[in-house]
Amino acid sequence: MDFYFGLGQLIGVHTLLGLSAYIVLLTGQVSLAQAAFFAVGAYAAAMLTVLTGWHIVPALGVGSFLGAVTACAVGFPALRVKGLMLVIATLAFGEGVRLLFFNFDYQVAKGDLKVGPLGGEGFRQIRFFPEHGWTTGEVMLFIWVFVGGVMALLWWFDRSRYGAVLRAVGEDELAAQSVGLSLTAVKVSAMTVGGAIAGLGGGLYAHYTTHIEHASFNILMATFAIAYPIVGGLRNVFGTLAAVLFVQAFLVEGLRGLGDWRNLLFGALIVLSMNLRPHGLFGRRGA
Amino acid sequence: MLDFLQTLSDGVLFGATYALIGIGFTLVFGVMHKINMAYAAASIGGAYAGLLVLKALATAPAWMVFLGAFLAGGVLGWVVYAACFHFIPLSSPLAPLMSTVGMLLLIDEVIVHLTAGMPQNYPAMFDDVMLRAGAFTLRGDLLLVFGVSLLCMIGLLALLYRTRLGLATRAVSQQAVAAQLCGIRVARVNALTFVITGLLGGVAGAMIGASVGTLSPLITMPLTVKGLIVTVIGGLGSIPGAIIAGLLVGGLENVFQLYRGVTERDLYVMLLLFAFLVFRPGGLFSRT
Amino acid sequence: MKKIAVAIAVALAAGSAYAQEKTLKIAGFGAKSGVVRSFGINSEAALTAAADVINKQGGVKLADGSSAKLVVEFYDDRCSAEEGISVIRRIYGTDAVVAVGPTCSNVAEPLFGILQKKVEDKGDSGLQMPVFTDVAIKVGLARISEWAFRNVPNEMTMYSSLFYWLKTRYPNTQNVYGGVEEDFAHSRASWYAVMKDRAEANGYKVVGNSKWLVNDSNFATQVREMKNANADIVAISAHPFTTCGVLKEMQRQGVKPKVLVGLTSSSSLETLQGCAKQAEGMIIPTSFAPVTKEGKAAAETTARFKGAADLHSMAAWENMFILKQVMESEKISGDKNQLPADRRKIRDGLAKLKQTQGLLGVTKRTEDREADKPYLFVQAKGGNWVVLHNPL
Repeated sequence: MDFYFGLGQLIGVHTLLGLSAYIVLLTGQVSLAQAAFFAVGAYAAAMLTVLTGWHIVPALGVGSFLGAVTACAVGFPALRVKGLMLVIATLAFGEGVRLLFFNFDYQVAKGDLKVGPLGGEGFRQIRFFPEHGWTTGEVMLFIWVFVGGVMALLWWFDRSRYGAVLRAVGEDELAAQSVGLSLTAVKVSAMTVGGAIAGLGGGLYAHYTTHIEHASFNILMATFAIAYPIVGGLRNVFGTLAAVLFVQAFLVEGLRGLGDWRNLLFGALIVLSMNLRPHGLFGRRGA
Repeated sequence: MLDFLQTLSDGVLFGATYALIGIGFTLVFGVMHKINMAYAAASIGGAYAGLLVLKALATAPAWMVFLGAFLAGGVLGWVVYAACFHFIPLSSPLAPLMSTVGMLLLIDEVIVHLTAGMPQNYPAMFDDVMLRAGAFTLRGDLLLVFGVSLLCMIGLLALLYRTRLGLATRAVSQQAVAAQLCGIRVARVNALTFVITGLLGGVAGAMIGASVGTLSPLITMPLTVKGLIVTVIGGLGSIPGAIIAGLLVGGLENVFQLYRGVTERDLYVMLLLFAFLVFRPGGLFSRT
Repeated sequence: MKKIAVAIAVALAAGSAYAQEKTLKIAGFGAKSGVVRSFGINSEAALTAAADVINKQGGVKLADGSSAKLVVEFYDDRCSAEEGISVIRRIYGTDAVVAVGPTCSNVAEPLFGILQKKVEDKGDSGLQMPVFTDVAIKVGLARISEWAFRNVPNEMTMYSSLFYWLKTRYPNTQNVYGGVEEDFAHSRASWYAVMKDRAEANGYKVVGNSKWLVNDSNFATQVREMKNANADIVAISAHPFTTCGVLKEMQRQGVKPKVLVGLTSSSSLETLQGCAKQAEGMIIPTSFAPVTKEGKAAAETTARFKGAADLHSMAAWENMFILKQVMESEKISGDKNQLPADRRKIRDGLAKLKQTQGLLGVTKRTEDREADKPYLFVQAKGGNWVVLHNPL
């Protein structure tokens, strides 16, 4: 049972990662920087619970806020680059943030042990959950409260004018501008919301793995972030969730029995699914 | 001062390998307006396939391995095209991006499976040759890489501007619909573009293997990132841009390392990219 | 028809015989995918081979006097922290009494973090599963949890001894220059906290170090720094890929230190496969070479199960025998209904151990659940790792 709760935690956190890219993708921007905002949230929330003893909820709040601030800062220059250049620019930004954490040392002595991020060696002993006696099931429910909240929020966006505005910009920028939409406001706001979601996800990630290091937030994680909404389709938030389940529950855990072949099938199935369902598992809106 | 010059020249020569990778990315972008994220992986894959020559003939000279890599790269290029681009309709721009990512993972995994994850020794030519001018040295094998890259660029430019295939490629890159109306088979041109970039990639992979001396799938990701950065700095779609940007990035990367250490080196490369994006988003040679 | 009836009868008889046989499951886990997949493959082979030997000798004696056969199930964690955590939770949910692994230090750290930190802390909801590590070698990890135990070589002891021995054997060596993979936690710690520290403690002057990243491919600047330092001893704390890259560059630039020292993890086939010629003469302290009778036998048996014997896989082999000893001395029940109790017994048994029998000799167990293994120095010679000095 513990295993399923643990898997539930993982799926929840990865869904947040995917949703952070989803909202940005709606506006037609492919952002490989979500892992960077995830990292900012992770380090921030972890430092607050470990170094200053905060409770996890306000720590997550700060992590999410800092993720949003970073994303907003990225959102403005991102306006200047279009299409594939944005992919590369956000990739480079993500790597830059990772390298900053690689060089980041901030240790505080707690008793006879030094805790805190230590550059290349990472940040260990982020044990808020076990130290406060949370069971695996309780942590899973905690994570899913947030995931549910974010999914509800994005679902509500989709049914409101904001969602229509996001997708309008994603479909055709010129047309959107000609009906009076401010591209800047739309794109930057989407990026900021994405950053907030990623920051939240990152904070949760730090606490359920108890150890983070710069290498955890690499290009592979950034790629997974956009893979989930692309494979799942942009029709609605459930596409992203379905993709996370497909990848983490089916490909990673379900195919465990295939041993060696699992990794090969991983790449092959992604290629196959893109050929068979180019608009994602759930397809796109109005198709 | 000598340190600076030496470091710069080392980096510039090594940057020739980045230039080769950059050419591949930029050519695919120029013709199909898509990024082939699996390009660096396919190049390394081609280099590995070149090692099969040694399996068949243990005493084969290095240039035969390079030739094997060249041909294998072409084959892999076609495979990537068929699996990731041919069947996906153009109306979904994200799908080819994702499928090439899946292809990158697949190629890496195939390499790991076939080599049990162990780094492979790679043959080199002139790797014991060091040209010296006092305390200043130039690696002979890197000069070869540099020379090969130049040859490839010249060959490619000749192909693009002196042959019918090149004409067709340029036509498709400018206006695919009009090209089709003129009787050019777009799918065939696209496939051939991938084969050509694949051939180039195979050579790039072999040159990288030769200059490092060992091959490992560990270098795929950093090479992909560098290649993409070089492509953007050079200007998406410009081959001379990719060459110059490759040398520039190679040289500056080493200089950053000299002055700020290896942990901050890549940060400065990113900042260089951002500087270009802010001040010259079209790259060095922006396409009009 | 008669033949089928006989076949069914035989199958039923065999089935019921199996049903009466008691089994104890030991879960192995490690990296069976990615560039480090040979580690997982070898560990699995060693675990299965050791279990086979134990079973042939009668299995493990349970508290009620009966014997149980050992069953090994191996899980792939792909050297990923999240997957390692998932795997240990999965193992917890099975009837495995103990887990042996992981391969990667970056998996071990988070994984130990989710275990219960102190056994007496009822308020700590961490996982209560004993983990006995065979490979993950980064210094000081078992301290993270009282359920974590390691049977990995103590780099501090080995390098201390190595530098001491080098000082006596090569008295004209005065200084050391280091090369370090800066972005890989294990190799980074091994240079700063181990090699540098121990070299200085044994009278060497550390004149500097060069840094690179784990997937770098251009080492010209670093090797030039090395050349300028002109140290007697060059110590490289890096894994096979970059070690080979650096060694090849050293050959190109004509850097020939009097002594070349490497990282324990690199005393493997990978380094020789990548650059045997350039690695010639490199000295590495390691905790396994087939020099004893037991060691040779273990290597042969593991080879039959398609695994290579090196310091990592042979630690897994040793773990199985240590666990057998602990299970018998703590009198575990083997009863699936008493699983938490059995796991606790194994943990307590491992904690009580003051020494264990290793393939090279007696291994001391330390207070913080680590091992002080007997070691020897190997040197790369002619494409093989040859024993250079056996302090035993």
